[in-house]
Amino acid sequence: MSKGQGRKQAILGLIMVSPSFLLLLIVVVLPIAQSFVVSLREESGGIGLGRYAYLFEDKGMRDNLIFTLRITLVSCALVLAVSYAMALYMRFSDGRLVDWIRRTYMIPLFIPGVIATYGLMNLLGNHGWLSRFLLVFGIELPRIIFDQKGIIIANLWFNIPFATMLLSSAMAGIPASVIESARDVGAGKLAIFFRVIFPLSFKTFLVALTFVFMGVIGSFTAPFLLGPNAPQMLGVSMEQIFGVFREREQAAALAFFTFLLCSALGYFYIRSMAQEEASRS
Amino acid sequence: MSLQLSVRDVTKRFKTGEGVTGISLDVTKGELVTLLGPSGCGKTTVLRSIGGFLKPDSGDILIEGRSVVALPPEKRPTSMVFQSYNLWPHMTVYENLAFGLKIRKLPKAQIREAVADALRLVQLPNSEKKLPGQLSGGQQQRVALARSLLLKPAVLLLDEPFSALDAKLRQEMREELREIQTQTGLTMVFVTHDQEEALALSDRIVVMNHGHIEQAAAPRHIYDRPSTLFVARFIGKMNFLEGVVEGSGIRVGPFVLPNEDRIEGETLVGVRPEDVILKAAEAGEGMKGLIKQIMVLGHYAEISVELEGGGTVRSFQPKDAVRELTAGQQVAVAFTKSIAYPKIGDN
Ligand SMILES: Nc1ncnc2c1ncn2[C@@H]1O[C@H](COP(=O)(O)OP(=O)(O)OP(=O)(O)O)[C@@H](O)[C@H]1O
Ligand SMILES: [Mg+2]
Repeated sequence: MSKGQGRKQAILGLIMVSPSFLLLLIVVVLPIAQSFVVSLREESGGIGLGRYAYLFEDKGMRDNLIFTLRITLVSCALVLAVSYAMALYMRFSDGRLVDWIRRTYMIPLFIPGVIATYGLMNLLGNHGWLSRFLLVFGIELPRIIFDQKGIIIANLWFNIPFATMLLSSAMAGIPASVIESARDVGAGKLAIFFRVIFPLSFKTFLVALTFVFMGVIGSFTAPFLLGPNAPQMLGVSMEQIFGVFREREQAAALAFFTFLLCSALGYFYIRSMAQEEASRS
Repeated sequence: MSLQLSVRDVTKRFKTGEGVTGISLDVTKGELVTLLGPSGCGKTTVLRSIGGFLKPDSGDILIEGRSVVALPPEKRPTSMVFQSYNLWPHMTVYENLAFGLKIRKLPKAQIREAVADALRLVQLPNSEKKLPGQLSGGQQQRVALARSLLLKPAVLLLDEPFSALDAKLRQEMREELREIQTQTGLTMVFVTHDQEEALALSDRIVVMNHGHIEQAAAPRHIYDRPSTLFVARFIGKMNFLEGVVEGSGIRVGPFVLPNEDRIEGETLVGVRPEDVILKAAEAGEGMKGLIKQIMVLGHYAEISVELEGGGTVRSFQPKDAVRELTAGQQVAVAFTKSIAYPKIGDN
């Protein structure tokens, strides 16, 4: 390839990526940069990291942070465990039950979040259907709504269908013949799972984890409607700082910090992708 | 010779009604038996039943005298080489080969040695660190073969293992497999729909058709004395001529050919092209015909002769013998050997 042609191709490539790059710049990079700049303005009027220090020094904020991380981790673990089990079950079993699951598991994706949340409140609330039903048997329902349990249940509802869909497609990509040859050399169910199925679906597992993590850590509707007054999840806390206390700079600091949390996971994801690329070439 | 594998009256019918019926087959230790037949005749079904991937509806399968029908594949002393390589894409060649041995809890040093030996046997030394995606199709199939050999199975099952390879490589792999078989003395059941491959490779050929066995015999025997019309058509090339039973023989044109099987009614007489003799037309005896085409195919030539009474006969002749022959020439055709079959239905 001649030098001129190479340059032409490079310019063409730049032109082709520029729309998406511009979009990324306007929708993602600029707001983040802006939040960061805003967050540097201290209460005293100077420039510094005081807003970030507050996130860790204030007891309420610290509780919110720990609460958010705990809910996110528990939700991620539960969602992925349930989704993985469902994906496995749908891939390796058949029968009426599987057909039924296959047809219905995506329904939650089509129900608007607010409606689903209200549904959960009606079902699980203090005087909700479930508690009234259980009362007949003399069982008292523990507090679910306005508690972390409520948020976690809502997270399961919102995230399991999509994660299951992702993992199912990964399972479908594992040919039966690859599993048959593992059985042929003598591998039992556990060995097949840990040595063949899990490694072959690990990449998708990471993608699902990333999606669930980001979705949960930045969620607002469910924690706002179902969560306790204190501690709060970061999204709710941010809204309060911004809307009720009108501290724009502190809200920006919190937003930027949440972004950092997400980028940590993004970093792991990209690193594992890069490792895979490297081992292939 | 001790019996290594015994398939007894196995029947497997799928929901669609297709499958195999009444399959019985004995394989002695160290024997290489091929299952040969057209696509869809049930070869894979038989092989997968032996390997444990399909459960027969009825019948029994014994390996070294023990019934294995109740065992899942992971518990059977068999190993299978699949048509589509089936290596684990995320494991290196070494890991692919070592997996089965690790499950058997062999010490590491022993595994290392066994893997290196197996790779040498399939002529892929020093490829331990490669991933399957970095190997060619032929190399992947060798690794798959090595993976099975390592486990020293009581019976090695191969389902069209070379069909995805090009003709030359297929030939090489065939020879290699033959050599490995003599070296290791493994008992093998080999599935193919390629009759040439079956003839070249097998101690014994089992010809299947529509879910049942047509004939099981040594390659020579199958070639010389195909027991049914189906086998005669399927194995090698064969000319078919209509014949009429006449006394103790069968009349075809001017010839009366032997009727060994005492066939009655209408018959089809099969003659291999190499058993067809061409003589100058003036010789007088034989069926008269015109040479339609001469094709030189390497060291021999195939000559098609259009008979006066209708029909075409093909003959194989050494390539030097065809120098005097030209298309359009009149010749007389005779046969040195023939075999007769009753004519049934639209056959
Ligand atoms: N799982 C299945 N369910 C239903 N029918 C099947 C199944 N597997 C095979 N069959 C049918 O059984 C018959 C025999 O199939 P089999 O795979 O044994 O053929 P084969 O001889 O191996 O053919 P090929 O040379 O094409 O591999 C075919 O008609 C096929 O359609
Ligand atoms: Mg087959």
